[in-house]
Amino acid sequence: MTHPILRRLAAVPPAYWVFALLLLTLWIARPNMLNPNVLGIFVRQVVPLGILVLGQLLVMRVRSIDLSGGGVILLINYIITSRTFPEASGLTFIAMALAIGGTVGLLNGYMIAKRRVSAVIVTLAVSIILVGLVQFLSSGKPPGDVPKYMNEIFDIKYGPLPLPVLFWLGCTGLVWLVMQHSVYGRYVEAVGESAEAASFSGVPVERTVVMAHVLAGLIAAVAALVQTGSIAVGSVRVGLDLPILAVAATILGGVVFGRGEGGVWGPFFGVLSFALLFVVMTVFGIDEAGKLIAQGLIILMAAILYGARAKRG
Amino acid sequence: MIQWFKSGFSARRSRQGLWGVPLVIAVALVVILSLGTDQFATRENLFNLIAQAMPLLIAAVGQLFVILVGGLDLSVGSVISFSTAILSLDGPAIVLIPVVFLLAALVGLINGLVITRLNVHPIIATLAMQYVLLGITRILRPVSGGTVPDVVIAAVQGSVLGVPLPLFWGLIAVGLAAKILYGSRFGLHLFGIGGGIAAGMEDAASTYGIRVSRNIVLAYVACALFAALAGVFLAGRIVSGDPNVGLLFELDAITAAAIGGTQLSGGVGSLHGTVLGAIVLALLANGMNLANVSPFIQTAIKGGLLLAIVGLQSRKKMGL
Repeated sequence: MTHPILRRLAAVPPAYWVFALLLLTLWIARPNMLNPNVLGIFVRQVVPLGILVLGQLLVMRVRSIDLSGGGVILLINYIITSRTFPEASGLTFIAMALAIGGTVGLLNGYMIAKRRVSAVIVTLAVSIILVGLVQFLSSGKPPGDVPKYMNEIFDIKYGPLPLPVLFWLGCTGLVWLVMQHSVYGRYVEAVGESAEAASFSGVPVERTVVMAHVLAGLIAAVAALVQTGSIAVGSVRVGLDLPILAVAATILGGVVFGRGEGGVWGPFFGVLSFALLFVVMTVFGIDEAGKLIAQGLIILMAAILYGARAKRG
Repeated sequence: MIQWFKSGFSARRSRQGLWGVPLVIAVALVVILSLGTDQFATRENLFNLIAQAMPLLIAAVGQLFVILVGGLDLSVGSVISFSTAILSLDGPAIVLIPVVFLLAALVGLINGLVITRLNVHPIIATLAMQYVLLGITRILRPVSGGTVPDVVIAAVQGSVLGVPLPLFWGLIAVGLAAKILYGSRFGLHLFGIGGGIAAGMEDAASTYGIRVSRNIVLAYVACALFAALAGVFLAGRIVSGDPNVGLLFELDAITAAAIGGTQLSGGVGSLHGTVLGAIVLALLANGMNLANVSPFIQTAIKGGLLLAIVGLQSRKKMGL
């Protein structure tokens, strides 16, 4: 891998390779699946994951992790579908969701950056608390129906493009702008490279990390709203596996703890790869067990490709 | 002795972590439960408590090995499910039981090699392993069923001279871990490696001639073997193979270790602390069941306790 072009190719995040490979597989096996309408439906399903990934990549860039997204999604989903607040309008729900996400993010950030507690433990504990709370409030029973207008918004399409997918593109673009063109984006990059060096250079390290977690909490709240729109009936299990999948998609996209060659679009394609993976496995009739194995192997391959390069470089 | 006891309460001075806190909580829980409820101090309940606590205790002890070297094993739960699935296959016990431990050792070996040689973050490597193992377990046993060899059932249920058999499992696991951690060069090296990593000097231990990679790999092997032991125990309890029995077990094991004062950045922690952490979790679950607390809010309380206790253990490192 000494040739400059080869080296350049090797620096492409694994997500793009996986995406291209899956697309090719699908094209050979079932070319008729490759039409915008069919793919649009599959991509629409991963939009909540895609939005959650934006928060995950932010905290992973500052060498942290956020596993509390599942709890946040569950709680917001419960509040909307349980009709605890029968008078609430759509805007009230949005405000409540953002308040919950922001508060959880602030708590995570405070515990991680100021109290210096392990991020894995903190966000895991927060998630456990939120899940327990929702299960207690609902006694483990599915809460109720999702308001009709939420499903209707989720179903809007412009030509072949579903609105949720456009919204996801917009959110990703926004995060890309923040990372590329704002002072805060530079701070995140500096803290990820080396918290110590950043601190000596006058970067407010603790504040940057707290802020990353607050943003991740807010983004999880947005993901929760989209997720709620995507289902007809509330559930006490919705979204619980999303944080782990988000970590996986982020790594696939070339962002690992502290390093972010993949930028924002790498993880974006990581999520798309997962969407395509589900299509391909459904097409080939692979069952749940096979899907788990394939997911695990893909995460592992992506991490190995990246880990090996980290050592050399 | 008094000095040692005091060290359990001051996080900053001790290599063994803040193990005094779970001790106080455990004692307080026992006092409250025996005074507050009639059922707690009964023979039946105590037998039950011990049997419920053992798999968690064994898995937590295994988890301690990898946490000490600054790692984390998220595949513990899937190793447990996998072990019960293997045990419930058709075959003689003399074959199945060694196979369980051999495969677990292989899982730990792969985890360790991927982490050390291929430089993958422990969370990611063991997460991937979790997915793969869960998939294989679902193929072997899609829903719970099958029967476990009689030897295993006999070794878990019942008692000898009034002492419940599960207690022996715990004693053997803890005794074995104590010998490895405090009575062998390998154990000493684990503390040394973890201390270096926690201080931000990854190769501190290797400058002293410790083979860092090899010892870390062995820590993951040990963790997987303890998880398999917990799996065999659980298989004996439920008398069948179950692909979901170990679900989220790794999180409980990490919770137990963390409550016991083990620091996730590595190098700080103790076996007695981890055992106390597992006991606290078991007492809490048992007590809340006796007090008719909803099982759902129990989950929330467990999370709150974890958050409160790790909040006491501030450290230098920020992040993971």
